[in-house]
Amino acid sequence: MKMWLKVVLILLVLGIITAFGVFKYINKPNKDIETAKTDYTLKADDIYKEYAANKAKADSLYNDKVIEIDGSVSKIEAPSDTLVVAVFTQKQDTTNKVKSDDPFAELNADGGLRCTMLQKYCDITKKIASATAVKIKGLCKGMSGTDLIFEKCSIVK
Amino acid sequence: MKTVLRIVIVLMMLSSSVFAQKYMTKNGKITFNSDAPMEKIEAKNNQVKVIMDATTGDMAFQVLITSFEFKQALMQEHFNENYMESPKYPNSIFKGKVTNAKDVNFTKNGKYNAVVEGDLTIHGVTKKVKENGTIEVKDGKVTVNSKFNIAIKDYKISIPGAVAGKIAESVQIVVDATMESLKK
Repeated sequence: MKMWLKVVLILLVLGIITAFGVFKYINKPNKDIETAKTDYTLKADDIYKEYAANKAKADSLYNDKVIEIDGSVSKIEAPSDTLVVAVFTQKQDTTNKVKSDDPFAELNADGGLRCTMLQKYCDITKKIASATAVKIKGLCKGMSGTDLIFEKCSIVK
Repeated sequence: MKTVLRIVIVLMMLSSSVFAQKYMTKNGKITFNSDAPMEKIEAKNNQVKVIMDATTGDMAFQVLITSFEFKQALMQEHFNENYMESPKYPNSIFKGKVTNAKDVNFTKNGKYNAVVEGDLTIHGVTKKVKENGTIEVKDGKVTVNSKFNIAIKDYKISIPGAVAGKIAESVQIVVDATMESLKK
């Protein structure tokens, strides 16, 4: 085969491989949190305290990371059939008097770690009784008011 | 006279305990849809905090931006890092009121058209908005639904030229939140 033809073919193959790689990168799916490597293992109370003490530092450490927490469930909320949240309530610091006209005052009055469960764990989570010790793995999304949000949560055996 | 006064006071207390009712949820849903010539993008958020005062009609929303879920991980990254700058502006907020709250009977099941007015803050920019929606009272829970559009450049959200054709200038926002009454 002529030299130039070989070169063209090689370039063409390289081009196709690159295009495929770019396509795969652009269309990469969301990480499967349930099977992903755990970045940190912490107690629910501890990670909440870290966010409450220094949000910026906690954001840089834990936001968007896969974290396994263990704690005692305070309550299970089921806003809908497909949405179940395991809540680890944390005592709020009421020493700083909140402005009486703060519309979010009641929303922030009770806060804690809120774990939104993956669909397949909804049924089993609903059966968890209050004050049960559980280990949950999820994606940390950071603080929203006085709630530390975890998503795509699964129960660790 | 004293009996009448007592009855009036009791009635006032009863009515205030019903009407000074606040409703809230920490898991309301907001979906936004961008229908551009090159691509259709949709993102869902299930961590929306909503609180509403049935008496005054006051209503507030807090939306954690990093909780918007996209099908494409890359789009979610760009959304947070470049367009919304989530580390700088972690929440979008709405503070306003249902202007026709007195038309709503919160004590029995029913569905009502609602007009909501207030300040919407996205990406650090606040704009006055007035939108329509519905309020449904069912078995003690209050569901608010609304569908409206926002122009992304109103909120100083800039999309780089390379992907400009992929994101619509006007994005549709769909709100769906079911609130429970605040237990006093």
